[in-house]
Amino acid sequence: MRMRQAAVAVLALLALSCLPGNAWAKVGRGRPPAKQWIDIELEGSNGYSIHLSVNPRRHLILQVTNEGFSAEYMTRDVFADADRVKAKLLGLGKISVRFHPRGPVRHPSLPGCGRKRPTVQPGVVRGTISFVGEREYTQVKVREAEAAVEEPMSWRCRYGVRFEPKPREREWVSKFSAEEEGAYFLARKYRPGVIEGGQVLYLAETGEAFETASGQVPLTIYRHLSVPALASTFRDTHPEHLTVSPPPPFSGTGTLTRTPESVFTWGGDLSVQFPGLDPIPLAGPSFESEYCLRGSGCIR
Amino acid sequence: MGRGHLSLVAVGLVVAAVLLPATGMGQAKLRRAGGFEVQPAYTAGFLRLGKERGYKVALYMPTDRIVIFYASRTEKSKDGSFKVLYSLYAVRNLGDLEHGVVRARFGSLGRVSLRFRPNGQMRKRDPQSGCEGGPEITEDGRFVGHLSFRGEGNYFHVSSAKGQAYIAHSPRLRCEKGQALESHPRSLRKHVAPVPLFPDEGSIALLYASARSHGRYVGITAMHQGRSSPGADVQLGIVEPRHGMAIGHGVYLEGPAGTLLTSLPGAHPATATLAPPPPFYGEAAYSEDSDAWTGTLGVKLAGLSLPLTGPGFHVHLCVVNPLRDRDGCDFFKAEPPPDE
Repeated sequence: MRMRQAAVAVLALLALSCLPGNAWAKVGRGRPPAKQWIDIELEGSNGYSIHLSVNPRRHLILQVTNEGFSAEYMTRDVFADADRVKAKLLGLGKISVRFHPRGPVRHPSLPGCGRKRPTVQPGVVRGTISFVGEREYTQVKVREAEAAVEEPMSWRCRYGVRFEPKPREREWVSKFSAEEEGAYFLARKYRPGVIEGGQVLYLAETGEAFETASGQVPLTIYRHLSVPALASTFRDTHPEHLTVSPPPPFSGTGTLTRTPESVFTWGGDLSVQFPGLDPIPLAGPSFESEYCLRGSGCIR
Repeated sequence: MGRGHLSLVAVGLVVAAVLLPATGMGQAKLRRAGGFEVQPAYTAGFLRLGKERGYKVALYMPTDRIVIFYASRTEKSKDGSFKVLYSLYAVRNLGDLEHGVVRARFGSLGRVSLRFRPNGQMRKRDPQSGCEGGPEITEDGRFVGHLSFRGEGNYFHVSSAKGQAYIAHSPRLRCEKGQALESHPRSLRKHVAPVPLFPDEGSIALLYASARSHGRYVGITAMHQGRSSPGADVQLGIVEPRHGMAIGHGVYLEGPAGTLLTSLPGAHPATATLAPPPPFYGEAAYSEDSDAWTGTLGVKLAGLSLPLTGPGFHVHLCVVNPLRDRDGCDFFKAEPPPDE
């Protein structure tokens, strides 16, 4: 087994990061209509929530969340039919459960979905669910959990995981991004009052895929982090010189500097620490960076 | 996005800048009459003289009144960047190109006394869109007679008129307003003046140093485009009159990292250093404080070694932020043309 960084993953992450674990469903154009989902709610250790879902394409996604952090573990190595799920999460856990309906079928209304009400059968799953996050940052082991089988009317109108977009997050006044294979960093600055917790929103994402010798990808992991911070952590008053020093779990400082060659370079000791991982550097010459000022354009 | 190498297209532009007149994009002094204008008849000629010591050499007549010797050399470095060097020598045609006669003296450098011999092959080209009149007729053939030219410093020597040649005749055309070809300048000097090859639009650091002395114009421009990798595009143009002749020399090259270093926008005093690769040598420094352009910078061209610093130079330095000045530096709009 060898690991490779998922280069394309990071590009996709920007779009996916603001969605919950079943974000695969959002990109549904050209695909068959949404059919049956299985959703299982779990409680992980150390304050993490765990949502396990199997989508109609028989992908199992285990999403771990805690405040601004989320991690998605996705495997296609799944056996699933109407009421059974069996899957392995490559050294991190395994799932082998059967769904048992409990209570009447419901058709809950969803905001923005009009008459597209899903069909939801509540119930429980019984069997084995075990998951241990990297370096045990969270874990769960249960034999029974609450669950639901859902048939949504469209990909967007899912009851099991509701996506609540924050349109004001698009109202940035300046932003900076840096990316290299497997890692993405984004900082957006807002006018006062637009976002909660400060004027700057920092995001970091990583993606990695585990690949077998035969080329199969039994496990893909996406991690996403979002932290608000004060305006003083994003200093861009002089557009030739930008400095960011986001709060934990980030550490260090990143600096965009215009050299005497009139080339913009991104450097510093900025890094981010995801739960269960070593700090990941987010600055250096291998990163491609971009600074944008709304209404003025971007420099790279 | 990295700095683009000076492409073959760009090289072609340089060549086209001097060759187009000979291929029929000819003299057209416009006369406006209502919604139409007139593109006068013209005759142009061209003689390809092959390669001499790495230089492509040609004789061309953009109009029936002007003869130009042209030598250019294109070099591609190991990193893929291009360098173009050229020399142009323009004099009056004492012959009558309409009748295939080219007669001219290039001072002590050479002279031509040629007569065109068509080989019977002719090409016709319809007037450009928006114009009406007869077709342009190009006759292929060769020139016979005497031709000798020795580049300054003997960097090339041509003593034979052998080579492909043609003469193109275009009749008077009636064109819709704006469709007639631009007229060729009467001034010899304008025919050898440097043509900006690198666009200054989008440049975020641009240095322009020029000097005029005893009729000689020397101008060097170095610019760095936004979103480019380290380095700068450099172009040098030299124009001078000599014994009834106008001589132009030029260099276009893509300089590596370290070619142009400047202070940042808003810094005072603004400073810059320029150290382009060969055929340039040395380094020049500019300081806004003293408005001085000093150093050892010079250029060695075939038959010419010229210092490029000193009190006679006027320097303009523009360093902008791409977010504040989205069009970049645009000195050339304000700069007087080098032929005045």
